[in-house]
Order: sequence, then structure tokens, then C-alpha cells
Amino acid sequence: MIKSIRRILRMHRIFIAQDLKKLMEYKVDFLTGMFGFIIYQTINLIFLWVIFSNIPALKGWTYEQIIFIYGFSLLPKGIDHLFFDHLWNVGYWYIAKGEFDKYLTRPINPLFTVIVERFQVDALGEMVVGIALIASTIGKVSLQWSVLNVILFILILPFATLIYTGIKIITTSVAFWTKRSGQITHVCYLVNDFAKYPTTIYNDVIRNVITYIIPFAFTAFYPASYFITGENPLFNLGGTVIAAVVLMAVGVLLWNKGVSVYESAGS
Amino acid sequence: MRRFFKTYLPFSRAGMQMMLAYRSDFFFHLIGEMLVCIVMYFVWLAVFESSDTQTFMGFSMTDMTVYLFISFVTSYLTYSEGATALGEEIRDGSIVMRMIKPVKFDMTFLFQELGGRVIEVVIALVPMCAAVEIYKYCVTGSVMFDPLYFLLFIISTAIAYLVSFYFNVCYGFTAFFLKNLWGANVLKDAVISFLSGAKIPLAFMPPMLQSVLMLLPFASLSYTPVMIYMGMYDALEILWSVLLQLFWLFALWALSKLIWRLAVKRLCVQGG
Repeated sequence: MIKSIRRILRMHRIFIAQDLKKLMEYKVDFLTGMFGFIIYQTINLIFLWVIFSNIPALKGWTYEQIIFIYGFSLLPKGIDHLFFDHLWNVGYWYIAKGEFDKYLTRPINPLFTVIVERFQVDALGEMVVGIALIASTIGKVSLQWSVLNVILFILILPFATLIYTGIKIITTSVAFWTKRSGQITHVCYLVNDFAKYPTTIYNDVIRNVITYIIPFAFTAFYPASYFITGENPLFNLGGTVIAAVVLMAVGVLLWNKGVSVYESAGS
Repeated sequence: MRRFFKTYLPFSRAGMQMMLAYRSDFFFHLIGEMLVCIVMYFVWLAVFESSDTQTFMGFSMTDMTVYLFISFVTSYLTYSEGATALGEEIRDGSIVMRMIKPVKFDMTFLFQELGGRVIEVVIALVPMCAAVEIYKYCVTGSVMFDPLYFLLFIISTAIAYLVSFYFNVCYGFTAFFLKNLWGANVLKDAVISFLSGAKIPLAFMPPMLQSVLMLLPFASLSYTPVMIYMGMYDALEILWSVLLQLFWLFALWALSKLIWRLAVKRLCVQGG
């Protein structure tokens, strides 16, 4: 068990090193990508700033609190983008074109190989903005950076990330039956846009969808609101853990089932 | 003229067929974009509920809703990406296939994209405008639909599409230098959504910034048609902003031709 984990980690390092070499080859690429995501987020912030220059609070949430939630939302998104970006290609092209064959011929788990094949450094743009935003609210939102909260903060991030990853694995796996599912992944993924704002601004239908069906609210608003208010740790943090575990379990099951029915493309 | 259409209409047919072949892509993409629009709707709703006044910088919630959805559908229809592949084609040399044929490179892209656009107008624009008009009727209790303004809106949207198309041709060449297409596209889309007023109405910007942005080509992409649709402009303003749109159309067209000639002169395709 430990031996195989060590083997996997070693391979992951080798794959990342390969990607970093590619990066050094195409420096402009890397800078454009990262810069692109930073600008994209900056424009969203200008939007928030314009809104808050006219109202004191958004349904009871102050500017700093919204910024904290927003910054928080970028971290799991960025981490998922950094490590698990390659799943997009599977749903859009690899299965449809039969290129998925190559993963089946290797002596490593296909899901693992797909994931480690790409280390998407563009994501650093999102993560830099996210960290900067959270840092900018220190002392301004009423949360206590106690040792316990810092530990909880660090512990909850991987789970929030796995919500993204789980949803991507589930929707990508659909392609094993339909040949192509990148569009479905795209639509589900865009639902994360709702998570950047307090769920209290939405109507019941949307609130229930982003809480129980495509639970992106647990990637940002719920955990972030625990850190701001200190209320309902069981729901706000526990929900994130449960959502992540359930989605990943369903995702891996569906993926494995999908791999077993995979038929390569003809010609 | 007849010869012109005879040459290029088959490209439109191909574009239409491509659209129908990948219809699920189109639908899911539309739904995805709608989701983002719905998020914005709820954010604005919360803003208006949190505000002491009924209006926000001159916009009522009804105005804001109309703005959001009409601006969404105009940005969607005027979005052009057909020519983005140009830089890529120059790099890998497949551009020669365009050069050895007796057709103009920009017209082939244009007509192919227009083919798909026809379907989008029917599926996206018509229902959206109908929905917005019904919404306005429900809120205000009276019909305020003016066919003349609607016609002007359609004309302005058509020009906006052409501006967007030639902007994209010019941008396509830069893809030759900025190879990271995905990142460069995120950058471009974000900047355009901001500068064109799709993210925040230009009317909400500080006056200085606003007057600069109004002159840039980006305002021609969606802000002008939307303002015309909403009846925010008087006759003189409409005339002025449509002329500005035409100016940018001409400028970007000329620029794209210039870059094309420079690129062709320096093009060096290595053996296949």
C-alpha cells in the first residue's frame, strides 16, 4: 500500500517536471495564460467595487465579507484547475477520437494518468488573486485567525477542490456512453459562478440546486461563511466534506464503469 | 454581385450544416451563458433590494433586467471567433490552402460564420426579445415595443457583428505570437466584456472613463445596439453612434487587410 502510494507520488513528480520543462520552453504562453486569469478576476472585482460604491451592504453582507467569499471561491477552483484540468480534453476529444486508447495500454490507472498528464499553470493566476483577496480582508472581516480556524481552513480546501473534481469526473465519464460530454461538463462547471455570492441572494430553486444537486455552494459560500460568522460548522464544513466524498465516490465508480464499456473509435 | 454570392453562399451552407451537426454543443453553450446571466440578474436584484432608492445610477430594476438580457443576446450574436484560427494556420502552414484558392480569405470565414448565425438569430434572439417584451409588459402594464427602434437595433447589431468579425481577424494574427490560445482568449473575452459594457453598463463608469470607452471600438460591439433597443438614445445620438460603428468597421477592415498583406509577404511555409 505505502509502496504503491510512493510510486504514484514519484510518478506525479516526474509528470509535473515534464510539464514545467514545457513551460520553460514557452514562457510567453505561460505569462499570457496567467495574466489572462488575473485580468478576468480583476474585472469581476471592479464590478463588485462599482456595486458597493453605491450601497453599504448587499443583503446584509459587507464589501469585505463578499471579497472574502469571492477570494475563497478562487482557491478550490484554482487548485482543481492546476491539477485536474486535463479531464476537459477527455470529455471533449479523447474519447470521441479514440485517443483514449493510449491510457488503457499503460500499466497505470487510466484516471490517474489522465490527471497527471497536465499541470495547468494558468491556474496560478486564479490562486494568486484568491490569496491576495483573502489577505486583503484580514482584520476587516470579523473572523478570528485562531490556530483551530487556520487548520480548518487548510483542511477544508482539498475537500472543496474535490467537489470541482468530482463533478468533472462524473460529467466526463458520461462521454464513455455518449462519446462526447465536454459541453455537459462546461454547463455544470459554469454553475460555480453562483457560488461566489451569498446563497441568500438567490431564490429557493437556485439555492437548492447549488446546495444539493450541483453543490458548488459548498466550495465557497458555506465554508467561507463559517469562517466569517463561526456559525453552523456542522453544516457549513461538514457539508463540504460529505459533498466531496459523495461526488468523488460516484465519479470514480462511474468512471470505472465507463472505462469497462469504452469502445474505441473506428478507422 | 451575383457571382459573389454564388461563390460564397456555399460557405454559409457549410456553416449552417456544421451548426446543425454540433447542435448539442450550441445548446449547452447557450444554457451555460444563460446561467452566468442569471447569476448577474440575482446580484442586481439584491443590489436594488439593498439600495434605499428605486433607481441605481439612472437605471430601474426593469431597465437593468432588460439591459442584462438584451446585452447578453447581442454579445452572444456579435461574438466572432471564426477567424481566430488564422494565426494558427499561418504557423502550421495550412494557410496555403486558403491562398491557392480564388476566394478572399476574410469572406470565406465571414460567410461560414454567418451561416451558423442565421440559426442562432432564430433560436436565441427572437425568443429572448419576445421574453423581454413580455416581461416589460408584465411589469409596466403597457406595450412599449417600437418597430422602428427594433429595426435600428437590428441594423446596429449587424454592424456590431461585422466590427467584431474584423476585430477578430486582426486579433487572429496576434495568436501567431501569443501561442497560448486558451489563456489569450480568456484575456480577450474578459477585456472585451468589460470595455464593451457587457459586464457593467458604461453609464455606471466614472464620466471621464465613460467618454473614452464610448469612443473605443468595443462600445460598438454591444453597448450601442442595446442602448438603441432600450430607447436610451435620441435620434442624434443614434446617428452619431451608428456612424462611429461604421467608422470602426472601416478602420478594422483596413487594418486586417494591411496585416494580411504584410503577413503574406513574409510568409514562409516549410515543406509539408
